[in-house]
Amino acid sequence: MTTETGMLAIMRREFNRIFSSKICIWGMVVAPVLSMFILIYMMNAGLPTKIPIAVVDLDNSSTSRALIRQLDAFSKTDIKFKSVSFREARERMERAEVYGIYYIPKDFSKDAISGVQPKVSFYTNNAFLISGSLLFQDLKTVSVLASAAVGLQMAEAKGISERQIMPVLQPIVVEAHPISNPWLNYSIYLNNTLLPGILQLVVILFTISSLGSEVKSGLGRKLVEMGGGSSWKILLGKMLPYTFIFTLIALLFMSVLYGYNKFPMNNGFLPMFLAYLLLIVSSQALGVILLGVFPNYRFALSAASLMGVLSFSISGVSFPVLSMNPMLQSLSIIFPLRHFFLIYVDQALNGIAFGYSAYKYVALLCFVFVSFFFYGRIKNFLYENEYED
Amino acid sequence: MGKFLVDIYYVWKNELKLVFRDPAAILLFFLVPLLYPLLYAFIYNNEVVHDAKMIVVDDSRSSLSREFIRKVDASPDVEIVARLDNMEEAIDAKNRGEAFGILYIPCDFSKKINTVQQTQVNVYADMVSMLYYKSFLLSATEVSLDMGADIRVNVVGHGTRSQDNSSMQAVAYESVPFYNPQNGFASFLIPAVLILILQQTLVLGIGTLVGTHNDHKTFSMASQAYFGKNVNAARLTLGKAFCYSSLYIVISIWVLKFVPYIFSLPQIGSMLTIMAFIVPFLLAATFFAMTIAYFVSQREFVMPLFVFTSVIFLFLSGISWPWTAMPDALKAIAYIFPSTPGIHAFVKVNTMGADLAGIRFEFIILWVQTIFYFTTSVLMYHWWIRNYDPKFKGAVKA
Repeated sequence: MTTETGMLAIMRREFNRIFSSKICIWGMVVAPVLSMFILIYMMNAGLPTKIPIAVVDLDNSSTSRALIRQLDAFSKTDIKFKSVSFREARERMERAEVYGIYYIPKDFSKDAISGVQPKVSFYTNNAFLISGSLLFQDLKTVSVLASAAVGLQMAEAKGISERQIMPVLQPIVVEAHPISNPWLNYSIYLNNTLLPGILQLVVILFTISSLGSEVKSGLGRKLVEMGGGSSWKILLGKMLPYTFIFTLIALLFMSVLYGYNKFPMNNGFLPMFLAYLLLIVSSQALGVILLGVFPNYRFALSAASLMGVLSFSISGVSFPVLSMNPMLQSLSIIFPLRHFFLIYVDQALNGIAFGYSAYKYVALLCFVFVSFFFYGRIKNFLYENEYED
Repeated sequence: MGKFLVDIYYVWKNELKLVFRDPAAILLFFLVPLLYPLLYAFIYNNEVVHDAKMIVVDDSRSSLSREFIRKVDASPDVEIVARLDNMEEAIDAKNRGEAFGILYIPCDFSKKINTVQQTQVNVYADMVSMLYYKSFLLSATEVSLDMGADIRVNVVGHGTRSQDNSSMQAVAYESVPFYNPQNGFASFLIPAVLILILQQTLVLGIGTLVGTHNDHKTFSMASQAYFGKNVNAARLTLGKAFCYSSLYIVISIWVLKFVPYIFSLPQIGSMLTIMAFIVPFLLAATFFAMTIAYFVSQREFVMPLFVFTSVIFLFLSGISWPWTAMPDALKAIAYIFPSTPGIHAFVKVNTMGADLAGIRFEFIILWVQTIFYFTTSVLMYHWWIRNYDPKFKGAVKA
């Protein structure tokens, strides 16, 4: 058993360690796959639909009822309560039973026809920002349409011909082209970064675990001997089995995202596969760097957890990095997920030439180069073989 | 009864000593809840996207098109960073990351307006962020409605001021955003993150302590049982849980009261109502953490085991992805975890000003979870003591 030496022997030993450890199976395979199922299933609809609202219709005329019918036909809005008092609507909003209120005042249709310019109001619950903004779009559109409908009657009264009505009601139209995600699909938007984010987190944690656990179980020195004292043999032998397993997980993610869900991958398989591969090796490198900087198994894991969870925010997927404090903008470069996210936008979503993203791939490689400087320290950490909790 | 309370008190006191002697526990129970919320609030503190960068390609080159561009540039959400001659150049600049959107004004823009035809502008948005897309679209739409109203008055002819007003816009409308008037990102996301930080640091901290006991295979070390006193699993669970939750009552004042205050996030709820549900929330989260700590067989294992759940719990709580759009099966799963009713209750009370009646459902769920997880954590300790503390084995039955 102790006779075997060299990188291949270390690799073989590592595969055994992984597959005989419940925590490795759970953390490296079950956790990412379970997360994938939950998140993909959750956002299956793409864009949230049928957000409940209440309508307060004090006018109750045929015009106002037509307006309400029109609103109900919108996909994002679901009129849960019709013709309630404003007080009741407000209470239902407070209990989060509805996320918006549409208020049509008394004498709405009478005033509109006689040119008094009545005012409709809509209230959105922005404590739930996503629901609030989606409703805002529908409620605003229906209000503009209300104006148009009344305007139409008035324009006809003024003798403006039918052909001229639309140019008069809406002289300038804004046509929106959300490049590469015309469905405004949140699942495309979020899952393409959340899943790699979970992968990154898991990779960093298990890189540190794989080295720290050697020292904890007193095997560090034996490992150094197996590698013949070469830090390259030791670290590559330790890391490559993980690279292999995580690449399989990445391929599973890619087949679910781009194969099963048919999310855009405009430059084809290779650029994205390369991005995933580099995400994995750069995260492994970051794990090595963290353990090199904090040569304490437990503390390095804590640091990795904090960074891994922070990645989701600082990658810019929820809130754009350029709108953050400049200090945070610089900080974002030490998170592999940030570079991955930028590559993903370029290569999968926008499908622009590879050259535009080349330096972002290089950024991920830099993590690997930097980690080389810590190989010696990691070897010492293993050789000293002193576990401190 | 007296002995019952004395036992709990001893366990409590001993566990407290243990917490303060362990650097890992200090890190997870105190430093992380102290600093992590600040970092998160700092990330989202700018609340909204200002001056999203946009490139203009103006093929119309007319005074009307220049007016349109000027007005878009003047809106707070968008900044025009370049005027380029053609779309190829604009797309190249966008790809290089110099801007995130392109406003294209076609050559017949002005001509069509002057001949009373409907005209069109095109907004191309990079989907690197939904928020940029929203800024571009809303700003351009506002300008188009605004200019459209003036054009309409010119077409239908001027009358009295009120006639002009109603030709500009027959029906006025106003939008009233409730609870988060500036549509801020921090105001919406941070309350959920704060509750989640409380739960997850409890999970990580308690998991580390349990894992350490497992390393030493002396599970009841923290209890008086080790010194021959008769403390059963239920008293052990209660004593430890009171130790953690009492610490977290203090910590949650910082996390839930001071952090929102420092970053001026919405905070309209009554302190008493927050206290009323935070007690069952902390108890439920503590017992939940003590239960799942069962799986932490080594001091360091809690991180690889549970850290990834932070993301899942946040999404299951229905803040980022709207609760109403969540499949029913996931809603049911979400209610297994204290963070879900905890976040709902905190958002309703803190951000929306609900009273206790408004969070009745969450309040009940949290107490149900408290009782359920209390039972499971007693079972967990019972099992551990039986298997790993043979010295103590007999005393449990007594």
